Amino acid sequence: MVFIWAPLLSLAQEGGATRSTACLDCHDSDMMEPAFRDIPAHWRKSWHFQNSISCHDCHGGDPTDAAMAMSPERGFAGKPQYSEVPEFCGKCHIGILKNYLESRHGKALKASRSGPHCVTCHGSHRIQKADINIIDEKRCSQCHTYERAKMMKQALFATEKKIKDVRDSLRELRAAGVFIEEEEKTIFNTEAEFRTLFHSVDVSLIKDRSDGFVKKLEQIEAREKGVFRELEFRKNFSAFLTLVFLGLGAVIFLLSKPPE
Amino acid sequence: MTGKIKNWLEIRIGLDELVRTQLTEYRVPRGINIFYTLGIVALAAFISQVVTGFFLLIYYIPDTEHAFGSVQDIMSKVPFGWLFRLMHAVGSNLMVAVVIFHMLSVFFMGSYKKPREMTWISGAFMLLMTLAFCLSGYLLPWSQLSYWATTIVTSIPTAFPYAGEFVTRMMRGGETVSGITLNRFFALHVTLLPLLLILFIGIHLFLVRRIGISAPPFGKAAEKKKTWIAFAHEDHPDGHAFYPYFVQKEMYVLMAYFALMFFIISFLPTLFFPEDANTPADQFKTPAHIKPEWYFLAAYQMLKLIPNKLLGVSIQMALMVVFVLWPFFDTKEEENILQRPPLLAVFLLSLITWVGLTIWGKYS
Repeated sequence: MVFIWAPLLSLAQEGGATRSTACLDCHDSDMMEPAFRDIPAHWRKSWHFQNSISCHDCHGGDPTDAAMAMSPERGFAGKPQYSEVPEFCGKCHIGILKNYLESRHGKALKASRSGPHCVTCHGSHRIQKADINIIDEKRCSQCHTYERAKMMKQALFATEKKIKDVRDSLRELRAAGVFIEEEEKTIFNTEAEFRTLFHSVDVSLIKDRSDGFVKKLEQIEAREKGVFRELEFRKNFSAFLTLVFLGLGAVIFLLSKPPE
Repeated sequence: MTGKIKNWLEIRIGLDELVRTQLTEYRVPRGINIFYTLGIVALAAFISQVVTGFFLLIYYIPDTEHAFGSVQDIMSKVPFGWLFRLMHAVGSNLMVAVVIFHMLSVFFMGSYKKPREMTWISGAFMLLMTLAFCLSGYLLPWSQLSYWATTIVTSIPTAFPYAGEFVTRMMRGGETVSGITLNRFFALHVTLLPLLLILFIGIHLFLVRRIGISAPPFGKAAEKKKTWIAFAHEDHPDGHAFYPYFVQKEMYVLMAYFALMFFIISFLPTLFFPEDANTPADQFKTPAHIKPEWYFLAAYQMLKLIPNKLLGVSIQMALMVVFVLWPFFDTKEEENILQRPPLLAVFLLSLITWVGLTIWGKYS
């Protein structure tokens, strides 16, 4: 029973990543035209890749069968039209789609077919985890002045910072061996709700709702503080027991009778 | 009051004679060193595991839906549940270390030789049972580490043709690790293995007491070694009293053991808990890096070095047989390993190889 670990070499795979697909096999190939050959490399640096979201999850098709990988019969949707990008991404990001379509950005896109959409800010394949730094002068002043975007960023700033602080504490707790799945679910849902709200690009709405988010985050923070205090107590209690046993050992040693 | 109790016991079991023959007049050899206390430390470690295990048993639920959650409840909701759980987890690793050190010191002192072959064999089996405890207990939290480690362990018999698949299915109770496996390992961990180990402890202690404690093979005590041609209890009339001399030695080593345990719990609480140990089991997600516990790392690394799985497993089984039956491989009468350079070289080389493979396995 001591000789157990060789088969793991064949069992182990990269954590979180998907296996090779028909899509990747073609797009990684030297035969593919350069513009499409870069796509897998971009995707592998994305947040989607880290969460095991692959080509067919967005574009459809059959990833296991090269002949059917781009078949409409297997749901292949290809590259969406410019004005249909929000609905393309909104297949999964439903709440964001709703807020976006009600926003000035969404109305501009539908009216003129040329407003900003998901890819404008997030990119298409090298999508990164959303954060406040997506709002920058270069990106946001393509159609209007940066002033409005700057006000948006300021409205988001405090909540964004709190989210970061809570996540950092959760990371510390996880490293300390505490099981935090409930708290991680809560922060994930709160963060998702917060990010969804941003897509309304309505500063007054964001300011109104921020208090609610901050309260939820403060509740998580309070629980985190409680856990940190408990961990500190456990450390001190165990250290006390260490000293007790060391002391007992020392006493026995000092009082011990020498051999005849 | 104490006098009355003593008198009551004296009439019924001859308490004075018992204390005199087993404690105050029972002699241990001169030159007995601190390594001789490792046996009692191993026994205390096992008792600690039983006591903490009992408290865990009150709250643990051996079911795939609830096992992980029940362990988290022990850690976060049961008053001082965290202490019992950590004592049990840290204690299991310390117990393996103590048993290994005990066997190394017995080997070094040549205390496995005639007439103590059975003592060695019973001890070797107890080491294997300790490792079986560790393996069966590993699955019970039903974490990612538990699930995948057990998947790998139970696939080992498949190295052998024909019977291998059958043995694997028997261990798992099916094709894959599941709730059936959990129940089997739970039954093994809390009933069969403890009973077996207690039986072997009884045999081992009986043999130690019946034959007598062996004297260190170095110095003056070694001059009085005799040839065994008939049974005789090995006395040490010029030795030290078991009580209080050896008992006090045992006591402060025991205190050091528990101090070490609580030191680890206090300052290194995640030493034996990688992240996968704190993530619920997910049969659809294989962790990127699975490594065994430190006491299996040498075997793990050795298997990585041997290209053929059947050959690797067979070599390790052969080594295990040699280990258990070692007294029959080394039948020379000389107990002092320092007088036997080839054996000393084999001992040191094996130890260095084991340590080297362990470190290599950790960082590979």
